[in-house]
Amino acid sequence: MGQWAGFGKGLLGEAFSFVKVFLFLQATNDHVGGFVLAKGPSMLPTISPSGELLLMERISVQLGKVRPGDIVVVQSPLVPKKRVAKRLIATEGERVTYVVDPKNSDSLNTIVVPKGHVWVEGDNIHNSYDSRNFGAIPYGLLIGRVFWRVLPFKDFGSMEPHEK
Amino acid sequence: MRQWISAAKEVLERASTVAKFLCWIHVTDSYLLSSTVVQGASMLPTLNFAGDVVLTEHISQRLGKVGRGDLVLVRSPIDPNKILTKRIVGMEGDTVTFFADPHLGDYTISREVPKGHIWIQGDNMYQSRDSRHFGPLPYGLIQGKVFFRVWPPHAFGSLS
Repeated sequence: MGQWAGFGKGLLGEAFSFVKVFLFLQATNDHVGGFVLAKGPSMLPTISPSGELLLMERISVQLGKVRPGDIVVVQSPLVPKKRVAKRLIATEGERVTYVVDPKNSDSLNTIVVPKGHVWVEGDNIHNSYDSRNFGAIPYGLLIGRVFWRVLPFKDFGSMEPHEK
Repeated sequence: MRQWISAAKEVLERASTVAKFLCWIHVTDSYLLSSTVVQGASMLPTLNFAGDVVLTEHISQRLGKVGRGDLVLVRSPIDPNKILTKRIVGMEGDTVTFFADPHLGDYTISREVPKGHIWIQGDNMYQSRDSRHFGPLPYGLIQGKVFFRVWPPHAFGSLS
């Protein structure tokens, strides 16, 4: 009987350690940042459609320090469980001019981004569903800023927008 | 030298205990249950003006189980640093009808709530800034569902 009690205690200890590590990783992910898997054609040529492993940090968003040109992860305004990566084009009060329908015409539209909102677009404007379709989105939907590519390994390195 | 090492070890152990505790608090607070002080006139008579302490659960909105009639905490679409307490009046696909200006008569407006969005209103429609002013908001702005009031003591109880 003593053996089983010892074994049980050992397992419980392992379970507790696992929980502690999990909680730490979750807290870090929510406040500092973590890995994101991004795929789909909307950010070509920056992000490959077959999928890339990127590093995202949350601090810029929490401090209000994201700037136009940054690649951001946002919660989709249409499918709440989905997260998408887009480029931040404009913040509140700024004016945005965009091509309404790049596949069919050259007509432009200009809007001012409302208070508390941001305008995001995919780098691949021919195949991206973004603010040109669903409008400016509330800043509260921003999750983090993508700043580093981990995989594919041959492209390992910074994704900061202003270094090219 | 040995004293410094053992002192440093003890500091590290204490710090790690505090860190573990903070992580536990954070995960519980963000993903399970948290308490909030809510105040203001926009939810009278349901919530008091001077300030109530309410419990919010964060599970329902992740499971997609918040709906019409629920009291929710949402991040303001105008000021991302502010959290509002309002009631969900319409879910995606619903048609909501509201008075254009409750002080000025019976003229009503109807709007359809777009996909992925919700329509929120304060219970005190005369003194609430809500979807009637800033439009429907994305479901993703919901922070939690308010279900219980803890303070003041005479109003202790469920808020469903």
